[in-house]
Amino acid sequence: MNASIVFRMAWRDWRAGELALLLVALLVAVGTVTAISLFVDRLHQALLLESANFLAADRYIGGSNPIPEPYRKAVAARNLDLVDTMVFPSMIFAGVDRSQLVAVKAVEEGYPLRGVLRTALEPFTRGEEGTDIPPPGEVWLDSRLFPAMSVKLGDEVEVGLARLKVTRVLIAEPDRGGSFFDLGPRLLMNLADVPSTEVVQPGSRIGYRLLLRGEDDELDALEAELGFEDSSGYRWVDVREASPRIGSALDRAESFLLLGGLLAVLLAGVAVALSAHRYARRHYDHVGIFKTLGATPDQVMWSYVAVLALVGAAAVILGSIIGGLLHLGIVEVLKELIPIELPAPSLRPFWLGATTGFICALAFALPPLIHLRNVSPMRVIRRDLGSAPASQWLSYSAAATGSLFLLIWYSESLFLTFWTLVGAAAVLVLFGTLALLLLRGGRVVGMQAGSGWRLALSGLQRRHRENTAQILIFGLAIMLLLVLVLLRTALIDEWRSQLPDDVPNHFLMNITPEQVAGVRELLRKTRRQGPIYPMIRGRVVEVNGIDAKQWDARHRHPDDPGTRVGSERNLTWAAHVPKDNEVVLGEWWPSNEERSLVSLEDEYARELYLKLGDRLTFDVAGVRVDAEVASLRRLDWESMQPNFFIIFSPAALKDSAATYMTSFHLEREEKIFLNRLLSAYPTVTVIEVDAIIAQVQIIVDQVTQAVELILALVVVSGCLVLIASIQAGRDARVREHALVRTLGGTTRLITGALAVEFAVLGTFAGIIAVVGAEVTVALLQNQVFELPVQAHPWLWLIGPTVGGILILVVGLWGTRGVVSSPPMTVLRGADD
Amino acid sequence: MTRNTVIRAVDIGKVVPTAEGNLSILAGVGLEINTGESVAIVGASGSGKTTLLGILAGLDLPSSGTVELAREEITALDEEARARIRGEHVGFVFQTFQLLASLTALENVMLPAELRGDPGAEPEALKLLEKVGLSERAGHYPRQLSGGEQQRVAIARAFASRPTVLFADEPTGNLDTSTGQKIIELLFDLNTEFNTTLVLVTHDSRLAQRCGRVVEIEQGRLRT
Ligand SMILES: Nc1ncnc2c1ncn2[C@@H]1O[C@H](COP(=O)(O)OP(=O)(O)OP(=O)(O)O)[C@@H](O)[C@H]1O
Ligand SMILES: [Mg+2]
Repeated sequence: MNASIVFRMAWRDWRAGELALLLVALLVAVGTVTAISLFVDRLHQALLLESANFLAADRYIGGSNPIPEPYRKAVAARNLDLVDTMVFPSMIFAGVDRSQLVAVKAVEEGYPLRGVLRTALEPFTRGEEGTDIPPPGEVWLDSRLFPAMSVKLGDEVEVGLARLKVTRVLIAEPDRGGSFFDLGPRLLMNLADVPSTEVVQPGSRIGYRLLLRGEDDELDALEAELGFEDSSGYRWVDVREASPRIGSALDRAESFLLLGGLLAVLLAGVAVALSAHRYARRHYDHVGIFKTLGATPDQVMWSYVAVLALVGAAAVILGSIIGGLLHLGIVEVLKELIPIELPAPSLRPFWLGATTGFICALAFALPPLIHLRNVSPMRVIRRDLGSAPASQWLSYSAAATGSLFLLIWYSESLFLTFWTLVGAAAVLVLFGTLALLLLRGGRVVGMQAGSGWRLALSGLQRRHRENTAQILIFGLAIMLLLVLVLLRTALIDEWRSQLPDDVPNHFLMNITPEQVAGVRELLRKTRRQGPIYPMIRGRVVEVNGIDAKQWDARHRHPDDPGTRVGSERNLTWAAHVPKDNEVVLGEWWPSNEERSLVSLEDEYARELYLKLGDRLTFDVAGVRVDAEVASLRRLDWESMQPNFFIIFSPAALKDSAATYMTSFHLEREEKIFLNRLLSAYPTVTVIEVDAIIAQVQIIVDQVTQAVELILALVVVSGCLVLIASIQAGRDARVREHALVRTLGGTTRLITGALAVEFAVLGTFAGIIAVVGAEVTVALLQNQVFELPVQAHPWLWLIGPTVGGILILVVGLWGTRGVVSSPPMTVLRGADD
Repeated sequence: MTRNTVIRAVDIGKVVPTAEGNLSILAGVGLEINTGESVAIVGASGSGKTTLLGILAGLDLPSSGTVELAREEITALDEEARARIRGEHVGFVFQTFQLLASLTALENVMLPAELRGDPGAEPEALKLLEKVGLSERAGHYPRQLSGGEQQRVAIARAFASRPTVLFADEPTGNLDTSTGQKIIELLFDLNTEFNTTLVLVTHDSRLAQRCGRVVEIEQGRLRT
């Protein structure tokens, strides 16, 4: 057959409405993938940009020694912006007798590379954004240093040997983060003043950072070129490392969006396969006739492949346009909700959409069409000679290969692909059987039923193979939707519970034992009271009688920069297990424990080769304290509560001179409370993390919106699968019910029968979907999202109900023509 | 095989697998048909007439035996080659008409020429539609035509491929007596005009009588 007849065939099929469903399914595949990836692509870039604020840079190189020349050379050779910063603790002095430990940050022109500085002329105000840094000779101080040191703007403070003038109040800086124990309020100064302070001496504790800004490719290439090893003493830091909380929120959100995209592709693939099968089935007779007229199998095959190629090309072109418009629509709708500027998209989404379209066509639509070559010409005289069963195998393996390829290619994750496929395979095998059993059970019930029911149930029985397939497809679509809904709920709950509105965002430290009662009273009166922990610095000097240095030397390489057993740490004691801590090995001591025991954080113990029963000797403020390791704990580092590696039994440290710490929540407009607190207790140290937490909350909110949007898109493509599937089963139902009507069946009887049939299919599909969703969600939560697994009893009621109603509505809508058109049209036109 | 033989079937057997074991539909059937001959295959329902016709026309393969059609041993060819022979030498008329519903009457008649890639398909097809008396209905779809009209379109399409042999399986089976009569006339007129060999299966004794030879089949065997 030549090209012109192919075009004519395609045109005639199009005119007859035969190709519309296939084209729509392919359009959905291309359109959703393009739209989702465009949106995710842009949102991803925007979120990365936003979270880069936490570093004040895209990446940085950090170390406890000056950044060496070779690194600087490598950076300079690339198209990157760079700024040096230094952080160190220092005592500063004002007037004659006022002193305070502060965390000094020295920066140079250009800082920050990402995000902005907020400064003010009045402490404890909101301040305004600015782009400059303190000029040489000047410093900017944290609000609460003003009351604490009784200084005002224009006064001078001594930093080391230098006298510097206080010119502004520092309200916020983007990379304020860091540990809670990065002690003291901030002093921001110019890097050029650092030499004159002479605080940089051999052995002083200084953090050097080289902040970097530039294209991802350049940065990644640089990282690869420099090849950071643990032993180099320098670290390459990106936002994931610098802020694990944001990192994990981003990771999970990305996994979710990815998963959503994957499901959309799979659903669209199913829709394509369904409509291609329907198209092929409706062409068996055509092929039979073509063949009696002398068309060879090759001619038949190639002409259908050519028709498919035409449809595929149309779908790719139209789908890209629709996807682009759809995504613009999404952005428009969400403009209010997404305060961040979306960067321009890359071309990858279009490429992704187009390739998806062609792969869907190849893997899902091609096999049934290729199979048309095998239709026997005898079909013209004997209808049952339809399809050779060998092709089923081809269809399934092509669909499986296609899905596999799409999944891997799209997710770039073998892991996610593996679990999705394991889930899908299990679902198919298990639920194929389950669906057959359910249908069989339906027969028994149907025996005693009225005529509408009998008609419906006998229909279900007679086409039990088609119906099993349809239940599977409905079930799969509903299951995928449930999976997404459940995951979304779990993710968002998790985020919200991690960051409740009243999460502690201020920490009070250095509270003396005499002040504890007063501080507690002040906090109680303003209803901010949290648990108060004793805290004391100390370090391990011996392990089982072996010197701590020797213990380290015995267990690790001298260049290894990891944790040392002998490092100084914050210690505490407690009678009860602190909130969010879980004892994983050994036993927590009774509250009246007399012995000197200690409980270690699980990972800390493992890293230092410490185990249950080891005897540790501590140096706590010059006093030797012996304690036996009685338990190992796991704790939630993301809980925003004070956390300790090492906790003693109360008896062990009862004589030591500890100070106390606590945490509480403070709204921004209540910050003046700090002044009251600090004027009453000037020696107490306040650590503010409210700015960081507020920023995290913004990001989590944005990510949540993105997640919900993707969910909505996948729901749409899921509904399209349902429609395609009902369309695919329509022909048989139409013919059957037309016959029933010629035999005297009333419209009411047939509508009733159809309703029962769809409701039963939907309910069965719902049952299957619930089982599948529970299993898949449990697997995904456990393996991908690292969230706790839980069951959803309500689902077992909702799934089948929603399934029944959904399929009933969509089904009746899809077959409304069956009931309303005169039976003669159906019988006459039934050329299949 | 003489120069005039177009169809030669030797010792045809057809066995199909069923749930209850193998079922023998045809056994030891031998038949020779000469150019220009008209042959009617008759027999009781279920005796194997349609099966034999399908095998003679190269639509189906026998389980044993050989068939030669237009000097080619079609039982030894693959499906590609058999299709080509069908396109060149064979025309069909079926009891159930087998028109493509999405094509107009004219397009249905043009189909064989289109499949061959002939450029002058349309005037040829119009001429044939005129011969079967349906030139006004050229643009109509099959569902807009009566059964007799559909069968006339099918006959026009069968002759459009200028076949050496025309196979017909109960061409009047779905039609009333007088319409059937008209179809029979049309079939034989065109057969004479195009000098085609005619092989038809029928229950209709009038149709059988019009044929030069009647072959009776009984339980899968030719009655001689
Ligand atoms: N593929 C098959 N599988 C099973 N049985 C078959 C198959 N093909 C034909 N038969 C059986 O072989 C017998 C002959 O069939 P065939 O259609 O050739 O009969 P026929 O003579 O054309 O009958 P009718 O006059 O009713 O059309 C029938 O009993 C039929 O059921
Ligand atoms: Mg027959």
